[in-house]
Order: sequence, then structure tokens, then C-alpha cells
Amino acid sequence: MNRTRWLYPLTILLLCSAAPLDALARIKLTTLPMRERVEIQLDHPQVALVEEERIVPLVKGVNQVDFSWANTRIDPDSLVLRILAPPADQPLEAKVLSVSYPPNETALVWSVAASASGAVRVRISYVLGGLGKDFHYRAVADRDEKTLNLTQLLRVNNNANEAYDTAEFWAGVGERFNKPLGLNETKEVQLGRFAAVPVRKTYTSSPMEFGYLDRAQDKLNVPMHYVIKNAGGTLGQEPLPAGKARIFQDDGKGGSAFLGEDRGKFTAPDDELTLYLGLARDIAVRRTVDHNERQRIAGNLYRYDVTLKYEIENFKDAPVTLDLVESVRQIRNDVRGDSGRDPEWKLGDGTLRTPDPEKSDADTLLFHVDLPARAAAGQAQKQIHTLRLTLNNEW
Amino acid sequence: MVSAMILNRIVRLFCLFGLLLPLAVPARNIDLATVPERRTVQLTIYNSEDLTLVRESRVVTFKQGVNPLQFSWANTLIDPTSVELKFREPKAGIEVLDTTFPHDKPQMLYWNVQSDANREAVIEISYFTSGISWAADYLAIADPDEKALRLESFVRVKNNSGEDYENAQVRLVVGTINLVEKIAELAQLPVGRLEELKKEDYGNLRQKAARRMLAPAAPAPMLAMDSVAGAMAEMVAPKEVIKEGLSEYFIYTIEGTETVPNGWAKRLRSFEAANVPMTVEYRYRPREYGEQLTRLYLLRNDTASGLGVTPLPDGMLRVFRANGRDGLSYLATQNLKYAPIGDKIELNLGTDPAVVFELLKQKVYRDNFWLQIKGGNLYRKLGEDGLPKLEMEVQVAGWDEHTVYRQKIRNYSGKPISVQIRREIPGDIVFRSRLNPTLHDFQTVQWTAEVAAAGKADLDYEIVSRQGYNQKQNRVELPVDGVTAR
Repeated sequence: MNRTRWLYPLTILLLCSAAPLDALARIKLTTLPMRERVEIQLDHPQVALVEEERIVPLVKGVNQVDFSWANTRIDPDSLVLRILAPPADQPLEAKVLSVSYPPNETALVWSVAASASGAVRVRISYVLGGLGKDFHYRAVADRDEKTLNLTQLLRVNNNANEAYDTAEFWAGVGERFNKPLGLNETKEVQLGRFAAVPVRKTYTSSPMEFGYLDRAQDKLNVPMHYVIKNAGGTLGQEPLPAGKARIFQDDGKGGSAFLGEDRGKFTAPDDELTLYLGLARDIAVRRTVDHNERQRIAGNLYRYDVTLKYEIENFKDAPVTLDLVESVRQIRNDVRGDSGRDPEWKLGDGTLRTPDPEKSDADTLLFHVDLPARAAAGQAQKQIHTLRLTLNNEW
Repeated sequence: MVSAMILNRIVRLFCLFGLLLPLAVPARNIDLATVPERRTVQLTIYNSEDLTLVRESRVVTFKQGVNPLQFSWANTLIDPTSVELKFREPKAGIEVLDTTFPHDKPQMLYWNVQSDANREAVIEISYFTSGISWAADYLAIADPDEKALRLESFVRVKNNSGEDYENAQVRLVVGTINLVEKIAELAQLPVGRLEELKKEDYGNLRQKAARRMLAPAAPAPMLAMDSVAGAMAEMVAPKEVIKEGLSEYFIYTIEGTETVPNGWAKRLRSFEAANVPMTVEYRYRPREYGEQLTRLYLLRNDTASGLGVTPLPDGMLRVFRANGRDGLSYLATQNLKYAPIGDKIELNLGTDPAVVFELLKQKVYRDNFWLQIKGGNLYRKLGEDGLPKLEMEVQVAGWDEHTVYRQKIRNYSGKPISVQIRREIPGDIVFRSRLNPTLHDFQTVQWTAEVAAAGKADLDYEIVSRQGYNQKQNRVELPVDGVTAR
């Protein structure tokens, strides 16, 4: 009977002796099959699957192959040994007979039967703790903020207490790549580069989501975002995994200015990745409830006519589009209290009459409002907009 | 066998020979003993009860008259009350006169055996021990195109009993609840009241139940030199795990014999089935899988699938997918619940980021108002003549709430997918749609959709919920034509 063991933190040993598994044998001959190839599959959101290929010499009969993993966090229950198909000119048949787990050791022993003496290529797969990944993005917008160059980076953190001289990595997105990975090392690689991606810079006021800049003066916050659609060109083939994005803008002088950073959410193809840039201080939006009138339908059943007024000023020297977002439920709760029911509503004849159908639903209304640049004299033109709503069947 | 003698270091059987042997327990400081070695040993392991029946046979030479036998089990987990001695060959002419448990020597007993002639006999000693367990586990590797998978089933025997069992025939009992039921039957108690039994009584009944269940058990095999013989063969095949039904149970018998030293665990393949046909289904069933669209592999434990020889015992199941480049993708680990022969097997892989599943509430409106007049038993429908419109004492008592939804599905998985959606909608409900829904139960609507590769589906439906005075039922109604309520 032969016995093999793999050594170092992760070790395989082939032990050539007639000993059974009970470690009674004191004299052992051991061969050390080296790693021929390593693949690290990082496509699962939580776990890293390591696969190593080794060439294991076997003799005809039953061979003992030891695998040990001192000081590493291999999930022993996840270990799979597969014997890969042999070359046609060397038809050696090998099969795993059993696995034995010695006490108080991070090791196991495969009992492998071979039809003839020779070497087989095996692949050992295991889930390894301490090997993590995260995604990062670097977005550099051009001067006029119409396009940006998006770089997707993968960072692999090796706290698994095992070094890999070279390994092929697969993160579930992007290309496979080969890199060495040392002990306690963090490796960052560029997975994808998406040039001249169309970007939409948005200015949004949404009392529900972003609140007020000055509640006493009814002034709303106006946050700015870059919105990138994961579609078109090189984008849209795969989802963009969640990750921190650092945002820069071309300063026109060969350099770039740091605009801020945000955590990008998982973005499926055709969805939009929204990156927060900060608050716009040059756009002022005052929101008031201008009108609130209750009409009885019957008994305690009422209809409410509500008008919201927005006074908007753009102090920027360029025209912009403001996204005005309202939650009808929130409006209803403000004007008559929360009944616990979904509001039933109809848009009236205010200036805001055509919500964006893609971004509006039974509760949310989103209107795009075009704002001209301030006048040459520096005066911003105040725009008044109204949103008229009929809230039906409230009680 | 030298190693056997070393391994069998704990449970020992001594034949004590002497010229002046009294019939009682010998109490001398100088003794002579011979140690008949184990000839065969059989382990029958119940996985949930921490109970293993050990049957071992030994060859002992008896002289005519009374022969003392000492049996000891220091540092093991043997239940002393369970030790039994039987004579297998010859069956007549030998008998146990008495059994003595000496007060000063724990974990030891003496038998006085009466033999009517000088003879060699095969004896069988059986006892229950704790500390040996077995568990099933599974490995499933789906093909890259996810049309079939390879399913391998394993049994893992763990020995923490304090004793090395070498070349043992190993039998695993599948069917855990039934042992409890047998205990309940013997105790004449319902299963739920078994906790009321004293520990000692429970242990006794458990042994009795286990022994009764195994009454027709095959005798332990003669020592097989399987590993040595196997090495000589052309190619040693993995051992078969033979499955046989026994009443409500299944017993897995591992072919040949196994050596499981104390502290060790050993895992053997129970079966493997390549090319088990499977389908992929996406399910939205919040009650079962939470608020997410869940991806499943579906297969069956039947002969058409290359399975169906045995029920699949509970066990951890690991699911991988071959990536077509000799590599694997890790998909999930789950606890497979006992799957009877012919039953379906569902492998839950969690969410699939390549399929986007969004529910959009598009519109809400209310109609069919009924008003209660002055808090009495008089109700009038809104809009009918004679309603005192401005009376303060008129209250809304009933209405129909209409909510229009769009279930959006986008499929980026690269393959067409099949999606099944279940929505539990409590109340008096009319479910209007063109989705050909069916009722899973009185308040759960179910429908399916096929979404092409790179395709999108917008599944529209309207829920009409009759509220308050209008609620007459508690069930979902599906209009015959899909949309028209009664």
C-alpha cells in the first residue's frame, strides 16, 4: 500500500509503506507531488474556491494520499478530489475508495486505487477562509461631464495563511488573470476599462429621500450624482458588482481633480449606477404646500386638492435639468395624516403634469425641470412650478 | 494478527484457567489468563440515537465443567447493562451459569460458563456503545450547461467510542424517528411524552427497541482480507454500500470490512450517479425561500434518473457546477432532507445576480364604497339615491381596493429561464390578470413565466381586495376570463 502526503501549510504526501492508516508505521517513504496549477474561483459572493492540480504518482493497487492544511482555514467538508482524465497513451484508471480523517489533525487521507502504476493528474478543490475580494471603481469624468472613463479594479486580500506562486483568478466578471499571491498580500488588478462611457449629471431634490437644506426656509437639498447606465458599448455585458468608487474630473491641464467617493451598488445590465457627488449650492429650491382643501364626498369620505409650489433658481452659468421627486404618500401624510392606506391620486393642471414614466409609480413622481443658466448680469431667473394633486377617497 | 491484538487493547476477554477455581469470582493477585482475539466484529450504527450495537465473535476453548470468562471495557463508552454472551457454535452443551459485576473493578464482568465437554466454541458477545456515529453527505456537480448532474453520496463513520474496531462489518441504520417510535411503543407512551421516562428506563427501552429491530440481522461475517486481496486484483473497486429495506428502515451495509480506529472518521462512497437529469427553475415563494427570486436545481430520486435505489438520508449537500475547463464553481451548501424513493429533490442555490426580479406598484384606486348610517345596521352604497351625503354620522364601512402591479423580470443568464411565482394575498381577493394563474391554496396565487435569454417579461396583474363591510370571504378568486370579477 502506498501513501502520499502534501506538505507545507497545504500539503500532500504519498506514503509508500504497507502500513494501515493508524500511524503505526514508523518508517515511511514519502513523495511530495508539487502544485502544477492553481485556480482561485472568486465568483461566489461569499466564499473563495481554490482548485489545485497536482500530478500524483500511484502504484498499482491501493495508495494512501494524505492532504494536510495546518494553520489554514480550509473547510474540510468542502474538499473534493477529482482524478482528471488521463492522456490516451497512458490509460491509467484511478478511483477514490475512501477518505479517512485522523484525530486532532487538519488532515485527511484519501485511499486511491490504481489499475496500473503511473502518474495521474488530480484536481483538489476546497473552500478556503480568509481569502476575500472586493471591487473598486475609478471614474474620471471629462471636462464637460458628458462622458467618463470607468476603471473596474479587483482587490484580493490574502489572509488565508497560504501563498500561491501563481494562480489563475476568476472573479465572476471580467477576464481571468494569472498572478502570484503571497502571504498576507493584497493584490489589486484592473479587471475592466470602459472608455468614454456616457454619463448624466443629475441635480435632484426629493424631500423624502434627501430632505431639507433649511427646513424653516423650506429650502430643499439638491444633491448631485453621476448616473451611468450599464448598457451600450463595452458596458452592459455583465453586472457591475458593488464597490467603492472614487470620482475624478479632468482638470483640462493634464491632471484630474478628486470630486469625491461613493459606494456603488450592484448594477445589473440596463440598470443605472448612481454615484453621489455632494450637494449643489448653486441651485436653490423652495418647496411649500400652497393649497390644501378638503371636500366631503359623503359622510367621513373626503377628497383633498393639494398644490405644491416650487420656487427654483439656478445660479450656475450653465443650464441644468433638475429632477424633482415627490412621494405622494408623504404628501398625503403631511396634509391630512397617515391613514395607513395607499393614496389614490390624480394629477391636476399644475405646471408639473408629465412625470417620467420610467421612474414614476403608484407613489413616486419624478419630473424633469429644465433650468436656464443665470443671466449675464448675474441674476438668476426664478422659476415657479406647481404640482397639483387630487387625493381621492380619503377617510 | 498482531495489529488486531494491539488495537483491541481495551475490550478484552480473558479465559481464566487454574486448578483450584472456585465458582465465584476469583480474588487473587496472581492470575493466568489467555486472550482470545476477536474473530469478527459487526457494528450497527443508529445515527441520531448515539447508539451502536456491537456484535463480536471469538473462539474460546472450554474445558469440561465450569469456565470463568472475564470481559472488561475500561475507558470505553460501553453500556454494561447491555452486554450479552451467546454461543454460536455449538449451540448446545454450553451455558452461562451466572454473571458477576465485581464491586471493586468497574467496567468488568465475569461469566461462569458450564461446558459438558472439552471443546472449542464460537461465542458471540454483543453490547451497545455510544460514541460511534454516522452521517450521510452528498456532492453534486452540475454539467456546464446545467442539464444533468453527477450526484455522489457518502457515508461517514466517526469513532469516538474509545475502542478501535478493526476489520468490522459496518451497518448503518437509516430511519431515526422510527426508533423513537419503537421506544414509545415499548414504553406504551406517545412519542411526545418520552421525555418523562427516566434516563435509565429510556436507555433500556432504546436497547430493546434496537435489538428487536435488528432481530433478523445477518450474522457477522468472517474476517475478510479485502484490502490485501483487493490490492492483488486488477483494479480495486470502491466498496459497494448495500442497501436493504427492513420494515420501516433502510440498512446500509458497507461491503467487506472496515477499520475505524478510535478518534478517526472514515468516509465511503454510498453511491454515485452520473448524468442525473435535472431542470433549473426560478421560484419566488416568500414563505419558503424569503423575499427573493431563488434559483433551484430540481431532480428526482427515481430509477429514470439513475437513482431511486434507496431513500436519501438527511445530510449536507454541496453543489458545484463544472465550468467546462476542468474547474468548478461553488454554488451552495445545504442540508438535504430525507428524500424517499421516487420523491423530488430540490437544491436551493440562492439568488442569481443574472436575473433581475422587480415588483412595481403602478396604481392604486378604490371603489364600491358602502357607508354605514348612524352606526346602525343600515348600509348604503355610495352613489345610490337617498344617501344622506353630508351627514356626519355616515361612515365608510366597506370598499374595494384596487392595486395594479407589474412584475418585471430581466434575464441576463444567457439561457431561457422558467420562473414560478407564488403570492400569498390574505383577505377577500379577486386576482385579475392574463397570466393564467392557478391557486396554490385558498389565499395563494401561483403562475409561471418563461423568459428568453436576454429577454424581459412584464407580468401585469391587479389585486382587488374587498375591505371592511365588503369582505364576505377569506380567499382569492380567479375570474374565469382572467379579469372580470363576479
